[in-house]
Amino acid sequence: MDRRGRGPAPLGGVHADPRSSGGGLAKSKRVAGAVLGRLAEAALVVLALATLVFLALRLLPGDPAALVLGDQSSEEERAVLRGKLHLDEPMWMQYARFVRGLVTLDLGESVRRPGASAAARVLDAVGPTASLASLAVLLGAVIGIAAAVLGAGPWLGERRHWVDRIATAIAATPLLAFAPVLTFALDARLRVVPLPGDPEAGAAGLVFASGLLALPLAAHVARVSRAALDDVARAQFLGVARAKGGSHARVLWLHALPASIGPIITVVGTQLGALLGGAVVLERLFERRGLGTLILEAYASRDLPVLEAAVVFSGALFVGAQQVAAAIHAAVDPRVRR
Amino acid sequence: MSGLAGLAALRRGPSLRVLPLATVLGVATLVAAGARSPVRLEPELSWSAPSWAHPLGCGEGGVDLLALVAHASLRAVLLAVCVALVGFVIGCPLGAAAAVARGRLERAVARACDLVQAFPTFLLALVVLSAVRSPSRLDLGFVFALTAWAPFARLALAQTRVLRDQAFVEAARAIGVTPARVVVRHLVPNLLGIVAVQLGAAAAAVVVSEAALSFVGFGARHGVSLGVVLDQGVSAMLRAPHVLLVGAAAVFVTSVSLMAAGRAFDPTFARKARRN
Repeated sequence: MDRRGRGPAPLGGVHADPRSSGGGLAKSKRVAGAVLGRLAEAALVVLALATLVFLALRLLPGDPAALVLGDQSSEEERAVLRGKLHLDEPMWMQYARFVRGLVTLDLGESVRRPGASAAARVLDAVGPTASLASLAVLLGAVIGIAAAVLGAGPWLGERRHWVDRIATAIAATPLLAFAPVLTFALDARLRVVPLPGDPEAGAAGLVFASGLLALPLAAHVARVSRAALDDVARAQFLGVARAKGGSHARVLWLHALPASIGPIITVVGTQLGALLGGAVVLERLFERRGLGTLILEAYASRDLPVLEAAVVFSGALFVGAQQVAAAIHAAVDPRVRR
Repeated sequence: MSGLAGLAALRRGPSLRVLPLATVLGVATLVAAGARSPVRLEPELSWSAPSWAHPLGCGEGGVDLLALVAHASLRAVLLAVCVALVGFVIGCPLGAAAAVARGRLERAVARACDLVQAFPTFLLALVVLSAVRSPSRLDLGFVFALTAWAPFARLALAQTRVLRDQAFVEAARAIGVTPARVVVRHLVPNLLGIVAVQLGAAAAAVVVSEAALSFVGFGARHGVSLGVVLDQGVSAMLRAPHVLLVGAAAVFVTSVSLMAAGRAFDPTFARKARRN
């Protein structure tokens, strides 16, 4: 398995953590500091993304009002829209207004649907995407870990190398290539899954879409957790657990897996971005409602406030999920608490 | 004699790994150089199945899929290689410099790599592309280059951490070589082999992202992209399944052959490193 990407292994036990002897107060202070640090970092990243969105629409050549209204629009119409989007104000005032809007969740009104606020439309679309992505993470983690345990255990004999090979093959295959083909195969021949764009798809559609989304994630999780399990397998406490008479399954599930949970969570964290991109593709493929379709729709109709809000919100969602992953990692593995 | 040596080199691993990419590019170039046009429409042939005249069949409006796929994959590979090289040229010195500087800068670059690498490139692409009327290939390349440097910088950083304490770096420092020169003349050349392995993976990722962007309707304006084939294939999934299969196979073959070609750097440079 490829382990080049990881840093040098920490020399466990050589230098003891000087802070581990602190009292309860010091500990809670440390935890609060860590939480604040995470929050500050997350806020900074979201602000950076939001600023990029802000600048891209205003500094790149071309008049946003002309983009929205098209080339045939008159100068008066454009001026009205510019006033409505506050594009006629000086740049710093626009930016101040934009940042205030971020904090108060008020990013203006949809250009295409008067009366609907951009934030409301985004919040409306979050539900489907969030359920798609979280179900995919759950499925991916469960399938990936199960595959890794199967590959590390003795049950499959020599055939267990096939688990690695299959995982590598899936990890190398782009979702864009296999998702439509798999859908076609299961649709046209077997009719077991709902057709793309079927409004009646409901729960079956959600499960199928998140299953597709989970496959690459499961492959990555399987590869990483397999490597982590192999690392842990050399540790002494596993030998002790085996010597006490634990079965292979018990040793793997109860002793080895918790010790190797860190890399698994990390890989889920690093795959979140790809997952979000995949969610956009799948929402487009199945014509599902969600953040992806909202962004595409806002892009196609140049609904700038909605586009800004949706992109910033997805970015915030992503950063938040990543920080949660890091926090879980720190909670289960005392070695990364620093 | 040199011809024999060349033959022997051909039989060794690295060149075999370039073979898929060479085949893809060769076939695509042959087709693209021929008379087939990726944009000529023949409405009476819409969605027609593969035949002798059109080996891969026709898509929406009777466009010849063979020509479309050939042109699209050539353009995708060109874009991907350019983006990967830009990422390589930016990321390699950046990672090396950060590792040499140590301390806060090193941590900042490492953290930035983590974030950028995990960040949804899709969102960034949407942000930048939403500001242009109809994106060109240059815009797409710019968008992908925004994040392409991160994996290279991360690898260079990790490798320089190992190299920076070695004697030749210390010796260079001791005779008064400036840090910038240490990075450029002493560290970067030692990184190239290891970091170059990432070129293939980065290029493959660009091919897939480009296809995904045009699949969801953000592609370059001329509509010659692998994503367009997939889009047509999905919309006519039950009527003309060959379009979908052709599109998916094209994306798969192009990205996997790039990935395999990237691995070609692996043993060559490893051998060189052993010799030194």
